[in-house]
Amino acid sequence: MNITHDPWVWISGLLTICILSFLYRDNPFYKFAEHLFVGVANGYFLTFTVHRVLIPNLFSPLFNEGRLFFILPFMVGMLYVMRFITRVSWLVRIPIAVTIGYYTGAVIPATVQADIIRQIQGTILTPSNFQAWNAGSNGILWSVILFIGVVCTLSYFYFSREHKGVLGVTSRIGIIFIMIGFGAAFGYTVMARVSLLIGRFQFILGPWLGIIE
Amino acid sequence: MKVIEYLSQLDRRIVYLVLAFAVMLPLIIPSVQRVRVMTPVAKLFNAVDAIPDDRILMIDFDYDPQTLPEMEPMGIALLRHAFQKRIRVAALSLYVQPLGLAKRALDQVTEEFNQRATSYADSVIYGRDYVFLGWQPPPIVPLLGMGISITSVYTRDYYGYRTDSLPMMRRVRNFNDVGILVSLSGATAPLWWVAYSQTRFGVAVGAGITAVSASEFYQYYQTGQFSGLMIGMKGAAEYEELVETKLMLVDRRKASEALGSLTAAHLTMIAFIIIGNVGYFVRRRSRKGVVK
Repeated sequence: MNITHDPWVWISGLLTICILSFLYRDNPFYKFAEHLFVGVANGYFLTFTVHRVLIPNLFSPLFNEGRLFFILPFMVGMLYVMRFITRVSWLVRIPIAVTIGYYTGAVIPATVQADIIRQIQGTILTPSNFQAWNAGSNGILWSVILFIGVVCTLSYFYFSREHKGVLGVTSRIGIIFIMIGFGAAFGYTVMARVSLLIGRFQFILGPWLGIIE
Repeated sequence: MKVIEYLSQLDRRIVYLVLAFAVMLPLIIPSVQRVRVMTPVAKLFNAVDAIPDDRILMIDFDYDPQTLPEMEPMGIALLRHAFQKRIRVAALSLYVQPLGLAKRALDQVTEEFNQRATSYADSVIYGRDYVFLGWQPPPIVPLLGMGISITSVYTRDYYGYRTDSLPMMRRVRNFNDVGILVSLSGATAPLWWVAYSQTRFGVAVGAGITAVSASEFYQYYQTGQFSGLMIGMKGAAEYEELVETKLMLVDRRKASEALGSLTAAHLTMIAFIIIGNVGYFVRRRSRKGVVK
């Protein structure tokens, strides 16, 4: 056992214990660590935004280099502050409209292409799927399972008709696929959370307490 | 039966304690875990390995302290792979929180290589072998802007140097010079690279993601939108295995070291789930008996 003398490692270790103490019950140590984290994260974000974004990208070109074109984004950005003045608070709609307009234009075609068209293409059975059994997700077996899974799961979410007859059968199969999906998601969630716990124990037993290398 | 009933009503704090021991013991008494490399990770490794000399590997470090144990080993393994193969690296972050963690990974791997280096040519040099572009908000600016010009989006790097003055960046103009972009993210950043950068500019995208988001990302691998995929600590351990066995690069493997704990924790969880369910049915049966 080789306990560290580094004060920063000690601070980090003690804060870890404060956070883990919540597992016993809510307590002031946990609250202190939680509030400290939120405060530090926000302070870091704000400082970094001012020094690495606003100053080099806006204030410096506009006020030091005299590039007057930057006055336009500066003015539009400043309109966000108008919401604090009741009489002219409606002006805040202008920067919001600019932001929404830009993002809508940028997001819609990209989302349709990447998330809808390509995903539908991925579920279509093509002759190449039937050429090999063992081709990963492109082999016959998995392609057919994927196809059945997508169709049956979609049919489960079709509520305009009562789930009877063929629709009843497909929607029941759909439920099985959904449950398998939930199971996989839960399993992965457990793995993720346990990984985070392992990471903290690696730190506590390693750099802090020196029990492991 | 009373034992089962007692176990199924255990205080949650005892469950936490048992889980903590299950995680700690394999760390203190290490056991050898065989790492079997799965296809998604092998594909990512091959895609990085096949980057030609005139192209670079771009790594998007987008994990924060909450997901560090899963994600950092991925970043370190990727950097080791790139530096060992002399593939030039451009690192960046779409958010502000990961910047410090990205720098930590870059510094660690650079130091590992420079300690072994015997000459200037062998060393890993900033500006020649890798650059850290830093952070340029909002994310849509680098996602779309780098398709036209990387140095216009990131005029200055993380350290404040002009990017067009760095030797490596003189030959790197836009996504056409990127062999593959690997996004290491605890959120949805890899999907943004696919939706914006890949759809519009055709850049190849790989992803390293947390296990919790795996079921959300798998379909993009199945369609080929991701060239490869690393999932959670297990994925990181697989990449570490490939780096060690294929490149003969032996270094500390933090994700592989954790696999014993991961297995022990999973077995503990499975045991508790079984005990909980058996206990539920036993109690239900005994309650029915009382009603009769």
